[in-house]
Amino acid sequence: MIDDAFKWFWTAMVFASVAWYGYLLFHVGIRGGWDIYRMTRALSRPAEKSESGGRPPGA
Amino acid sequence: MTLTPLDWIIIVVYLVGCSAAGIWMRRYVRNVEDFAVAGREMDLNLGVASLAATEVGIVTVMYTAQMGFTDGLAGATFGVLGCLAMILIGCTGFVIAPLRNAGVITIPELFEKRFGKHVRWLAGLVVILGGVLNMGIFLSVGGKFLMFVAGLDPKAAFHVPLLGQGLTLGYLELTMTALLAIVLIYTVLGGMISVLITDYLQFIVMGMGIVVTSALVIWTVGWSNLVSQLPEAHKVKVAYQEASDAAAEARAAAEKVAPQGKGESGGSKEPSASTPGEKARLAEIARKSMVAAGIARDAASGDPKEAEAAAAVAARRAAELDAARTAAAKEAIAVAADAQRATEALNDAEKEAAAAAKKAQESALAALRAALRAEVAEQAAQSSSTPSSNPAPAVDQKTLAARQDAERLERLADEARRAANQQAEKVKQAAGEARAAADRAEQAAEHVQSISGGLAMGHPFNPFSRSGKGFGWVLWQALTAIAVSTTWQTTIARVLAARDAATAKQIYRRTSFYYVGRFGLPGVWGIGAFLYFWAIGGLPEGTESLTAMPAYLHTVLPVGILGLVIAAMLAAEMSTDSGYLLTWATVIYNDLIGPCLRKPLSTRGKLLTVRTLVLAIGLFLVFYGLWYEIPGGAWDYLVITGNIYLASLFSLLVGALYWRGANSWGAVSAILLGAIGPLTFLVVNAVVEKEHQISPTVAGLSAFGLAFAGMIVGSTVGRVMGARDGYDLEQSSGEQQ
Repeated sequence: MIDDAFKWFWTAMVFASVAWYGYLLFHVGIRGGWDIYRMTRALSRPAEKSESGGRPPGA
Repeated sequence: MTLTPLDWIIIVVYLVGCSAAGIWMRRYVRNVEDFAVAGREMDLNLGVASLAATEVGIVTVMYTAQMGFTDGLAGATFGVLGCLAMILIGCTGFVIAPLRNAGVITIPELFEKRFGKHVRWLAGLVVILGGVLNMGIFLSVGGKFLMFVAGLDPKAAFHVPLLGQGLTLGYLELTMTALLAIVLIYTVLGGMISVLITDYLQFIVMGMGIVVTSALVIWTVGWSNLVSQLPEAHKVKVAYQEASDAAAEARAAAEKVAPQGKGESGGSKEPSASTPGEKARLAEIARKSMVAAGIARDAASGDPKEAEAAAAVAARRAAELDAARTAAAKEAIAVAADAQRATEALNDAEKEAAAAAKKAQESALAALRAALRAEVAEQAAQSSSTPSSNPAPAVDQKTLAARQDAERLERLADEARRAANQQAEKVKQAAGEARAAADRAEQAAEHVQSISGGLAMGHPFNPFSRSGKGFGWVLWQALTAIAVSTTWQTTIARVLAARDAATAKQIYRRTSFYYVGRFGLPGVWGIGAFLYFWAIGGLPEGTESLTAMPAYLHTVLPVGILGLVIAAMLAAEMSTDSGYLLTWATVIYNDLIGPCLRKPLSTRGKLLTVRTLVLAIGLFLVFYGLWYEIPGGAWDYLVITGNIYLASLFSLLVGALYWRGANSWGAVSAILLGAIGPLTFLVVNAVVEKEHQISPTVAGLSAFGLAFAGMIVGSTVGRVMGARDGYDLEQSSGEQQ
């Protein structure tokens, strides 16, 4: 009984993982590309922050 | 099958593209913050890609596949626990939100704000010790994967004439050194910015490789086939264990009651059901099955009719092997039951003999007392029959009665002694039978093991099962999952590089399910490898549970896909190496060197130092990583080296962020005590016999217990001794959420 429950659980986990990896591949693939564009633009601007501190609140 | 030109093109295009992108990013590095945390400009999806790519290296794929190979789907339990831990932390912000808001670059930096400079330095030292040792096996394990998956001999080498002596260079060492050199170039030049960009590319290539390979393995093995065959393999392991345990128990019981001298016969030794002739026949079945599978594999790419015929022969041989294995397992269980019965009979006989011996002793004592009474009565009679008085007839009668009683009791004692001797004889016989049963059970266990080709599968679905990992192991892994998610510096580096705490929490939630696949999908590859080698009767020479998966992939992946998978695994290795190199170099600079400097270095000096440290760690990896032999399983090595700092730093973080009473006394105690568990495990297990070794579960759980006890007791003692409580983080960061 418990073994059967575990079999179903692992079946669901493995197939969901394949689907999730496939989905992330496209979703993060497209949006991550946009993040890179935004980050490189931000890094091209002159430095405004201190070296060890975080981004100021609300920035 | 070896690599085709198409496979090579895919690999070369990937390597050139990735290296060029990494080197190009150098132009954006202006200071240490850009270099270490990408100017804290990383956004959600790039963070997800980077975290996922860094946390999946070849070493990850190898040890998770090894766990699938030995424990089936239950081997992926850590992935589920990691996923739950990430969701919990992503929803509550436990540790990561205040950590990000503190505006630090590394975890030890936070400890300085809370506990003082010496705690920061000590924590940095422990982080480096655990982290760099942990990374030590990445290159050798990665190299083994690449060699086996490409169908090359991992020990292959070529000879270079040098100064008349000559130098032997291994292909594995050269390949991995070249790969590390590429990683070092872009990491040294571009730091976290290059790491993020290359992580992104590696996430795409690695994701494609993982999805395609998983689908292919599931398609080749067949999911229902996988689910139905694993329990059969587990039954064989249970049969082996039962027979071995029963044999050990019967032998120990026999030794206890009747120690056997060297060369003495162990009672009536009956021949086992598996005679040498029968064993040879079964070994022949296994050999034929392996040969038939090889022919089928070779024929698969040739004439379809021939391939079909070869596959039919291989299937028939595999079925014969299955039947032989089932028969051997049944016999082992039956023989184990016999041995258990013999042990029980011996124990019963021993109890009866003990009772008889006790009775004989009591009877002898009673007879002795009666004899003494008779003697006393006689003495009394003699003293009363003096010449002055007549002998008293009552006394004579008393003496007579005492003598008769003594004689009666002596007879009873003799009978009891005889009975005890008979029982002792029976015990001796039972011990002989138990020894013979132990011999038969040992033979049956050996037989099961040999016909399974040395392969064994733990409980393939239920991690709580006693024949699998067990409840204690699951508890330890759950604690480790929470500690890894909040403490592991390479994971935390993404939290610290996030735009804000909300982004960090979101990255955790989005990445959480990735952990299930991180363990589950390579685990399925390992299971595919197990079933493949199970069907053909065992692992080929030179292959072990760690390298079974790449050896299997080499046989099932078609042209083009093999190239993609190799590129994917190169991507996984490079992203992990770059992330780890950068993280540990940053910790060394920030927490070990920085606090010792009287005058801060210039921006240029800081960058040069961190880059030099990246190079130095790279060199260490080449020499330590490629020539170091892993003692035991890869996962055990990684968990133990990681535990050197996981437990202590986790308790420090929780104390620093959530307990106002925590102070530097507690922090130092937690660091030292938390490291004792894994270090004791490493030292004790290196010197004592296997049966007296500490289990990894006990060492791991005690590390967490000791670290938290150290934090609580140390802080309490520190307060009594006059140490002031740690500084308030809210005041020092001014930015709590």
